[in-house]
Amino acid sequence: MSFRVIQLLEPPENKLVEAKLIDTLKPHDLELVERAWTPERDRLLREYLLRGIDRRAYPQSLHWRWDKKARHLRELQARATGILVGDAWQGVMLTKSATQFARLQPDRGKPLVYIDYIEAAPWNLNLPDIGQQRRYRGVGPVLVREAILQSQREGFHGRLGLHSLPQSEHFYTGCGMTGVERDAAKQNLLYFEMTREAATRYMENEVSAT
Amino acid sequence: MKKTMTLNLMPTEMAALDELARKKDLSKTAVIRQALRLYQAVDLRIEDGEKLFFEDEKENKKTELVVL
Repeated sequence: MSFRVIQLLEPPENKLVEAKLIDTLKPHDLELVERAWTPERDRLLREYLLRGIDRRAYPQSLHWRWDKKARHLRELQARATGILVGDAWQGVMLTKSATQFARLQPDRGKPLVYIDYIEAAPWNLNLPDIGQQRRYRGVGPVLVREAILQSQREGFHGRLGLHSLPQSEHFYTGCGMTGVERDAAKQNLLYFEMTREAATRYMENEVSAT
Repeated sequence: MKKTMTLNLMPTEMAALDELARKKDLSKTAVIRQALRLYQAVDLRIEDGEKLFFEDEKENKKTELVVL
């Protein structure tokens, strides 16, 4: 499996930690991700239940199952990317190439890379309600950066699109993406788009939106 | 590792490829690559028993697309 070396930050001192970025994950890798993350998802759920915290405050991706998304990878237009520290997956993203088209000018109607799913490992979520501080910072920004690179390689000039969970909207705004419209066909989630100009700015500034 | 092939097209097909490349701001290679990916995805879904439709909401019209 080929990889690129990237860096994450380890709080509280924000120590640099070397990680591997792999953009050719196979269905088996997604099964391994879920096998490692499911007990952690269960642990978080127990913590929320024990504290009697309102369900609406739970991480909104807590019910996701990466092993169920593995079938997307049989399609050439799908690609799964992950970040490893040691042998632990720190974040995973599933992208689709040219299944969606830009809604914003000046590139309206032109293809983009669509981020179908993107998630940090359960231990990388900052969850003050249950007293959890994330293990590593930078997973989301690194994956967004990788999606921009994919888009550039495809000839899409860095254009990206995605439907955001409500809890993540501020993150994508911080990345320089534009909240375009709520999509009735996608559970009324807000559709965000990264224009080619925003992608250039992101790559130049190495925006840290954590 | 990428592999290279020669593609022979009729003038009308080449004109359509040129036009798509211009409209979508892509190289001709990228258009062909995206077309292949789309065809493969459609083929897999049809093999699974799904159907492909075009829908015109204004006209309230739905047409099934038959893919070879």
